[in-house]
Amino acid sequence: MAVRFTNPLNSDQFRKAVNTDPEFKIAARYMTKDACIEVGEVRCIVKFRDGIVSQIKTEATFADPWDFAIRGSVDAWEKFLQLVPPRFYDGLFAGMIRGNFRIDGDTISAFSHFWAITRLLDIFRELQNK
Amino acid sequence: MLKIEPIVGRYIYLTVQGTEYRIYYEESGKGIPIICQHAGGSQTLEWRFMLNDPEIISKYHIVSADLPYHGKSLPPDSIEWWKEDYKLTKSFFMDFQLELSRALGLQRPIYLGQNSAGFLALDLALEHPDDFRAVIGVNTSIKGGPSTMERYYHPAIGNNYKRATALAFCAPTSPEKLRRADSWCAMLSAPPVTGGDLYFYFYEHDLTGKTHLIDTSRCAVYLLTGEYDSTSSIEDTIELAKQIKGAKFTEMKNMSHCGMPENPELFKTYLMPILNEIAIQSDKKQR
Repeated sequence: MAVRFTNPLNSDQFRKAVNTDPEFKIAARYMTKDACIEVGEVRCIVKFRDGIVSQIKTEATFADPWDFAIRGSVDAWEKFLQLVPPRFYDGLFAGMIRGNFRIDGDTISAFSHFWAITRLLDIFRELQNK
Repeated sequence: MLKIEPIVGRYIYLTVQGTEYRIYYEESGKGIPIICQHAGGSQTLEWRFMLNDPEIISKYHIVSADLPYHGKSLPPDSIEWWKEDYKLTKSFFMDFQLELSRALGLQRPIYLGQNSAGFLALDLALEHPDDFRAVIGVNTSIKGGPSTMERYYHPAIGNNYKRATALAFCAPTSPEKLRRADSWCAMLSAPPVTGGDLYFYFYEHDLTGKTHLIDTSRCAVYLLTGEYDSTSSIEDTIELAKQIKGAKFTEMKNMSHCGMPENPELFKTYLMPILNEIAIQSDKKQR
């Protein structure tokens, strides 16, 4: 299974879907952060500006700055993105408890915007399975 | 048509460890008493399905109370509680159950709790086996994992963090409207309350080296754990059950950490055989 949100061809579609989602709009208010999402060796930067995803920068490099990073293996993300994920991959929090995902960097910012982040990833799952 | 539920809510004054508390509790039904204790950072709302279920309340007397600092139970008037962090200790948590049972005249109730309240089920079975005919621990293990409670005291961590984590603690197969309601309930309790409850979860509950002392002939022990629960996995609870002679374990397929509120119909299919077994055993002992 190819992880769709890291594909540059999908960036605009994913960004628009997130920004038009009613729950995300509420959850992400006041959020201005750069989140690095790592899928194995591949990384993309999701830029949040005043509650809007202004850019999903795929093929990001070590030179791209970020506030916090959400990291998991390719296998972990593939399980997470299944329509009905297996246990310990069914959410970021469950995955972190079991060591399948981790958050690095400014973890306080990540947890203070955890609702927005988890909604973003749920939308990514919905789009992955469309 | 007017709809009124059978649940009755009242306030009772309980003196626990020398301090008087004004406690909100709900009850319904008649029969074998069951104390349903809410989880950390939650309140009696968690047990509304139990309190409303016609089959359950036709045979059982359900009692559910808000711990002090939770729901409609305020901190006590008689101490300057604002000068220290709220922390739930094991001794207080146990004494609260004993005092609630005594004050309401419950005769050796069944104790039912999930998550941190599920952890307490085992502590009660160990330390107060003659006060409860049985305990049912939902999502339990020998001890909690490494502590994350400090996070809840940071001013940047608000109730929406609790909303998001509660959602993550429901199985993906649970009905969305119930997952959302449960996450809303979790959000009603302020983060420092959850942090304080987790003190018991992470630092006070530890059955390492003590499980063999639990006597299930005096207090029966039932363990239920959700397939998706990441905090107490089914393997964690199986290990716990192996160490308690006579304890009975059931895996709850398609359920997770939140237990009854995330999927009450499914939860009931796992709970009722246990309640029926306890009722039969209670009848035998009465004869």
